[in-house]
Amino acid sequence: MSLSLDATQLDRYSRHIIMDEVGPEGQEKLLNGRALVIGAGGLGAPVIQYLAAAGVGTLGIVDDDVVERSNLQRQVIHADADVGVPKVESAAAFVERLNPDVTVETYETRLGPENVGSLLEGYDIVVDASDNFPTRYLVNDAARLAGVPVVHGAIYKFEGQATTLVPGGPCYRCLFPEAPEPGTVPDCATTGVLGVLPGTVGCVQATEAVKLLLGEGEVLEGRLLFYDAMDMSFETVPYRRNPDCPVCGENPIDSIEGIEYAGGCAVEAE
Amino acid sequence: MKLQLRFFATFREAVGSKTIEREYGEGATVGDVLAALEDEFDGLEGNLLEDGGLKPQINVLKNGREVLHIDGVDTDLTDGDTLSVFPPVAGGR
Repeated sequence: MSLSLDATQLDRYSRHIIMDEVGPEGQEKLLNGRALVIGAGGLGAPVIQYLAAAGVGTLGIVDDDVVERSNLQRQVIHADADVGVPKVESAAAFVERLNPDVTVETYETRLGPENVGSLLEGYDIVVDASDNFPTRYLVNDAARLAGVPVVHGAIYKFEGQATTLVPGGPCYRCLFPEAPEPGTVPDCATTGVLGVLPGTVGCVQATEAVKLLLGEGEVLEGRLLFYDAMDMSFETVPYRRNPDCPVCGENPIDSIEGIEYAGGCAVEAE
Repeated sequence: MKLQLRFFATFREAVGSKTIEREYGEGATVGDVLAALEDEFDGLEGNLLEDGGLKPQINVLKNGREVLHIDGVDTDLTDGDTLSVFPPVAGGR
């Protein structure tokens, strides 16, 4: 393998390159890596920040929101002057300032069943930093069908959950076959969220994304990480593939057609 | 038998605590415990069981193992077991 790191890159990534687990080959993998980040908010901010700093060569960012002042308590890539600016634009500007090695592909759109296939195309991994159940189930289902790993993270007030959904391992529906009915789980705007919480959980997701791209270490495959900021405790619980899972079980779906990504997001039996 | 019961996210609010301890008769199953919890806490009512099984929106662990892969609601319990009940969360912004 011929290495193409230039002198500036050897300097920039020297703390990676010096480690056997990464080395120049690993850094090349990161530079050639393509990650799609769904959401440039609380979780997306640290994910984008650290993946850009690590030199992940192509970052796709999907978000249809604009920066609001109430975001700034936790969404650390956006600044006061960005209020009113589309988050994908603000995120792209942040990455540009941080690392010229990274190409940002922005998608100022809402991820939906109609565009998920084309958005996923060409990406090595997906980082789910979204904020709602329909998107999370859609990302799980579509990425599994496309054979793309998903790094999942979610937050609630002072608690976080993270897991990595790798083809061949269990998927999100093995853990939770259906979403709670709308209205039963309040969102961040209603409940509030500790500002640093998505920082911690997003950094866990960024770590998993880097490991997947490097092909090193043990990812959270078949393990759900619980983080409790108030107790400052981390615990992982194992979970397994569900043979009856409609997405990755013995009799799986072959397309997302007909699944309604609303309400419980259930896959109805045929 | 005495059980430790642990709750996460929205279920913590329904119960008002992260962990509680409860005493059940010998032979009580996971389903019996979940039914008793639905009776005791208004916020859990209708959120744990459905059609005699676990609701598809929740996950229940006995000593860190998914009861879905043991015997579901018929899973046996013994003194000192820990049952953890958690919902998915979706927040990210």
